[in-house]
Amino acid sequence: MTTPVAIVGMSVLLPGAPDLDTYWRNITTGVDAITDVPAGRWDADYYEPDLERRADRVYCRRGGFVDPLAEVDVVSFGIMPNSVAGTEPDQLIALHVAAAAITDAGGDRWLPADRERVGVILGRGGYLTPALARLDQRVRTARQLVRTLGQLMPELGDDKLEQVRQAFSDQLGPDSPESAIGLVPNLAASRVANRLDLRGPAYTVDAACASSLVAVDHAVRELADRRCDVMLAGGVHHCHDITLWSVFTQLGALSPSQRIRPFHRGADGVLIGEGTGVVVLKRLADAERDGDRVYAVITGTGVASDGRTASLVNPDTGGQVRAIRQAWLAAGTDPAEPGSIGLLEAHGTATPAGDTAELATLAEVFGPASATDRPVIGSVKSMIGHTMPAAGVAALVKAALAVHHGVLPPTLHCDDPNPALEATRFQPIAEVRPWVGEVRRAGVNAFGFGGINAHVVLEQAPNSRPGPASVREPERVLRLSAASPGHLAAMLDTDDATVLATGLDEREAATGPTRLGIVDPTPKRLALARKAVAKGKGWRGRNDVWFAPTPLLGDGGGKLAFLFPGLEAEFAPSVDALARRFGLDWTSDALVGDVGRHGKGVFQLGRLLDTALRRLGVRPDAVAGHSVGEWTAMAAGGIHAGHQVDAFLDRFDPDALRVPGLAFAVLGAPADRVLAVLADQRDVVLSHDNAPSQSMVCGPADAVEALVLRFRADGVISQVLPFQSGFHTPMLAPYLDPIRRAADGYDINPSAVPVWSATTASEYPTDADDVRDLFVRHLLEPVRFRPMVEAMHAAGFRAFVQLGVGQTGSLVADTLQGRDTLVVSAHSPHRDGLDQLRRVVTALWVDGAEPDVSPLLPTTPRRRAPVRLDLGGALISLDARTRLRMPGQASALDGLVDGSPLAAELSSLLRDTADAAAELLTARRPAPAPTRLDSVLRVSVDTMPYLLDHCFFQQRPGWPDHVDSWPVVPATTVIGHLMAFAEQAAPGRRAVAVHDVRLSQWITAIPSVDVPVSVVPAGDDRVLASFDGYSRAVVELAPEFPAAAPAPWTFTGERTPDLTARELYDERWMFHGPRFQGVEELTAIGAEHVRARLVTPAAPGALLDNVGQVLGYWIMASLPDRTTVFPVAIRRIRFHGEHPAAGERLECLVRVTSVTDTALTADMQLVRGGRVWAEFDGWSDRRFDSDPNIRANDRAPGRNTLSTVEEGGWTRVHERWPDLATRELIMRNQLGSAEREQYDAEPPRGKRQWLLGRIAAKDAVRRWMWDHGEGEVFPAELLLRGKEVVGVHGREAPALTVSVAAHGELGVGIAARGRCGIAVEPADAPDAELKATRAALVAAFGAHHEDGAVPVVRSARVGNPPGLPSREYIVAWTADDEREMGT
Amino acid sequence: MSVDTTAPVTGGQVTEDTVLAEISGMLRVLLDEYGLDDVEITMDTRFHEDLELESIDLVSLSADLKERYGDEVNFAEFIAGFELEEIIAMTVGQLVDHVVVSLREAARG
Repeated sequence: MTTPVAIVGMSVLLPGAPDLDTYWRNITTGVDAITDVPAGRWDADYYEPDLERRADRVYCRRGGFVDPLAEVDVVSFGIMPNSVAGTEPDQLIALHVAAAAITDAGGDRWLPADRERVGVILGRGGYLTPALARLDQRVRTARQLVRTLGQLMPELGDDKLEQVRQAFSDQLGPDSPESAIGLVPNLAASRVANRLDLRGPAYTVDAACASSLVAVDHAVRELADRRCDVMLAGGVHHCHDITLWSVFTQLGALSPSQRIRPFHRGADGVLIGEGTGVVVLKRLADAERDGDRVYAVITGTGVASDGRTASLVNPDTGGQVRAIRQAWLAAGTDPAEPGSIGLLEAHGTATPAGDTAELATLAEVFGPASATDRPVIGSVKSMIGHTMPAAGVAALVKAALAVHHGVLPPTLHCDDPNPALEATRFQPIAEVRPWVGEVRRAGVNAFGFGGINAHVVLEQAPNSRPGPASVREPERVLRLSAASPGHLAAMLDTDDATVLATGLDEREAATGPTRLGIVDPTPKRLALARKAVAKGKGWRGRNDVWFAPTPLLGDGGGKLAFLFPGLEAEFAPSVDALARRFGLDWTSDALVGDVGRHGKGVFQLGRLLDTALRRLGVRPDAVAGHSVGEWTAMAAGGIHAGHQVDAFLDRFDPDALRVPGLAFAVLGAPADRVLAVLADQRDVVLSHDNAPSQSMVCGPADAVEALVLRFRADGVISQVLPFQSGFHTPMLAPYLDPIRRAADGYDINPSAVPVWSATTASEYPTDADDVRDLFVRHLLEPVRFRPMVEAMHAAGFRAFVQLGVGQTGSLVADTLQGRDTLVVSAHSPHRDGLDQLRRVVTALWVDGAEPDVSPLLPTTPRRRAPVRLDLGGALISLDARTRLRMPGQASALDGLVDGSPLAAELSSLLRDTADAAAELLTARRPAPAPTRLDSVLRVSVDTMPYLLDHCFFQQRPGWPDHVDSWPVVPATTVIGHLMAFAEQAAPGRRAVAVHDVRLSQWITAIPSVDVPVSVVPAGDDRVLASFDGYSRAVVELAPEFPAAAPAPWTFTGERTPDLTARELYDERWMFHGPRFQGVEELTAIGAEHVRARLVTPAAPGALLDNVGQVLGYWIMASLPDRTTVFPVAIRRIRFHGEHPAAGERLECLVRVTSVTDTALTADMQLVRGGRVWAEFDGWSDRRFDSDPNIRANDRAPGRNTLSTVEEGGWTRVHERWPDLATRELIMRNQLGSAEREQYDAEPPRGKRQWLLGRIAAKDAVRRWMWDHGEGEVFPAELLLRGKEVVGVHGREAPALTVSVAAHGELGVGIAARGRCGIAVEPADAPDAELKATRAALVAAFGAHHEDGAVPVVRSARVGNPPGLPSREYIVAWTADDEREMGT
Repeated sequence: MSVDTTAPVTGGQVTEDTVLAEISGMLRVLLDEYGLDDVEITMDTRFHEDLELESIDLVSLSADLKERYGDEVNFAEFIAGFELEEIIAMTVGQLVDHVVVSLREAARG
């Protein structure tokens, strides 16, 4: 064979072995997996060993079975559990095993991105498999039954016969035409291809017991021919139908002694097994290149038929010999040579004829025994039976594992070997032994009925690395956020497992400004992260760790740029998986050195990454490019239309740009040093000022070469590059016409995003002619990349994403060295773009951006309960109830009915009684399995008026605008609804527990919303119930509540709470209105627990909400800050009875199990009459930023302000809510409807300051009003309009002038009669005080103040409070009326 | 010629160990710019794969080498004959060997 093929992944499902590891363990420890036929496969009364043989009698009932192992997590493959019944089980098992084999090879991401290069070929026979057998029963047997009955008993009549047919069919379950496709035999392979998206050849082959190895032979050829790069091959056999047993019985092939003993002197026949095995194959050279683990290498395959030489049932050695010789010829080894083989995994069916023929074959091919060379012969059939079409793969996997581990495995039941073995080199062994020998080489036989023979030669991998398989999981990303580096360090100050457990879901919002992100958080990376965080200095990307003490982006205010690389010496894009995931067109035939095509590839890649990043919510504040990457930037920025660039590049003649005799060189020196050397050169010019450590020159090849040598001699790293154009030099001028014409053809559009020019180191001009001029200058003048990056930094750019291949990013890093900057590439040669974008998203998130990671996450749902497959093919028995209803169940009384009314009455009475008894008896049968349910829940204050008592924000009594109060569906009400929908989907059953409750988003009631509901069965007794996008839970269903309840907890070390339940509500510690006020008594509180008494409220979900309130009280009483909490998840709630009625009293016990900065977890019990009614396990609250001031404001917003009043009467507020989620809450509490709209319309930059200013100014007005005798004034009652303040919904606002200013984390406001103005400047700005003073004057009196009198302007220096970035500000203020300004 | 200009600080024999220690020191200084302070550097450490150095980073390393060992060790000449893949796959050991050989030749020379 010219192409050795590596086995790089394997998996099996075989008798006694649900997976590869168990299979190998069973093989080496000699586990005998043969058992009696399980009930349900076929009926026991077929087994009649003592009676005369007949087609419908068997004399053997032992074999290899997988029934308890035949479980498949179908949902994870996107298959609905309710379609399983109608699907041939072997298709689902094949899918399961194939997926496991791919996982073993490295997982889905390991597969070639081009799925057209992956195929699957499985051996499978044409047997009466279980689903087909059931179809036969439904279609043929049912009709046959009534025809025969009708012919024998014509008195039954058509109606009764139809009843019989119906009763019979009903036992088979409902018709399901939609799953009929699951009966098509080749789907064993096609379903694998479909579900795993393999687009190469996918088919089944049938060569009886040789099928698997024939499939392997096909697969090897697919690889050798290079039509495919990865092949799945194997076999599948899950048929123990009685018809198959009948065939083997009639052939006399089954063992009368019911033992399978290959190569035993007394071997008397085969036992039937079943199973599935799949190997993942790849050309050895590719596997070595990719660093795959190689179990063994297939060096040869052979397939041959006996032709006419044998009878159809009795094997001949000729065909076997030819198949084996063919394979060894391909392997290039003489099989008869000493040491040629260490293990022969034989077909070994244990039939006398089969064993004899095989041993004769082996003697012929491998020669006679010698004293020193006794290779081992074995057959795994001695352990699992003959798995028919899957026999070859069961044998191949065994042999590959033996080669891989260097272990010779035993064969069972061969204590007295067949004398014919003596003529061969081989001997069986009963105990496992190490495999010593120069090269571990094995042969595998599989011979089929009818004379089809196959053989495979295996040998150890050239650099075989034995050892346990390592499974490559999809990369995980750890995200942590905290209020400060100190907090983050504290979170990391524990073992790795705990750190990993506290990581944020990538879809969750961050909670703090200090963030850490690690892709693939290995212990080493975690250790590195701890050090980086301890240092408190930013760490951006090395070793896939990102840490930002304070963000550069988002609240950090820095700008983000996209950088498009130009032509680099290497261009090998790896974005196939990315393009597929995002559904983007991607083909690249770029060639380095071919400027035109290379340029097109660079352009396409840049646009692909640009599109992908924008879909992830990553939007640049400007774009720029390096060299011709600037063209990509112009398209991405919107100046040029993409299709025009495409057209330009299509027409582009690369030869037109080849300037003869020119060369480029890269020099590891700054531009000024290069220019100094070039001063005495005439023909070589500087083409690129890339970075302090890199410049490029262009000129005649020999002059450039000389220059390179000169610099190199000076120790400067220098290299001539493989480009021959004169780009960015005057030397291109004579060749420029085609490009100039193309440029003139371009439409010039206003840019959507600023585009920077590396020719001018500034933004592109807006005038179309200027743009065209610059486009041409760009080709004739040097690329001034370093000055451009410097200018961008000066303009506030702090993050640079590279959108393409190469080292453009490292030029930025070199230029901005020592300054806090994030540089990250969206492309990496080391991994697909999909994985690389994960890093970009992580990096940007760490620096304060909020990209949307979800398009990058795997779409397969998490593992759910697997579905057990029905492999049975038993005869149909009618259940008792049907039998009673059927004709022919007449009693002796019925014969008397006509003559006796009494008999008639009695007969009828008996029938009724029997019906009633049957009803009772059948009622205890399990309820039908849950079904899928899709529905909609309308959430509004009309349908759920009680929500008006579950509003987050207080407003003036009678406030007409309910949305300002923000009514939200409580989490516990959500859970109640999920349970109710689950019960709807499973009639006759109760929701007895909920698991894995996730509450991801609040459901607000105004405006009303129709929430999509879905209930998906997840096993026999569970459903996944979801409010799409909001929340979900797995609901467990049972006919009744569990009888046994846990014991109520008891506590010690407690005290009387310092609040009463009444005060909890009256003093607004809880925002809940009367319909949610169920806490009647706060009984006791301890260090880690709290107890209370509840009165069940009538509102749905309110009782469970009260449990959360009790926990909320513990938090307020026990923790100093961050006491605003909302539930986000509950691991489990188990119920032990019906929901209590309104008014019922329960005891509530809360046990706090963990508290971190961001989260808090507790377990709870609700006890009714001394018995636990509900137990909560792992209730998780998320803690939001809050301090006492914020709390006070939440409790009484009409009497408190977030701002403080300063001497001079102005107000200031600092942003004490670093995370977005808390800011959202603060915003909703401080702004009314109209202002919220304004807030939403504010651009992201400055939004925070806008809000701070608003709050400060409105607080200034409210303070003024309170000073002038006003009572409660709520923030939503006031609205700023320019310099005026107006009242909302009937509130009269005083005639005041208002002035607002904000900077960084500070907002200031002033309100006065007459003119007033306020301004703020960062204290470290040059002339801060002067600037602030001027700005305050302008704010108060306008730009041209000419009043004559010099107004008094006061100023003060204020600093951020602890916990915020340390920053000082100068605040200056002035007003007409000095009195209004205080003293 | 003067031996002093090329002899390492150990004053005597040029050994792999001393050169590895010195180059490790240079790399640590270089990497410290990135904050990576206690990475283990051995003869097998790869510049690109393990230290995540890009080719532009080699420019500073080259300057450091020149400053330490003078003109006898020319890193630029050394890697001039390398293909791009070879530069990417280069190990610290290759550089150490080059320095040791260059210094010994110079000492002989």
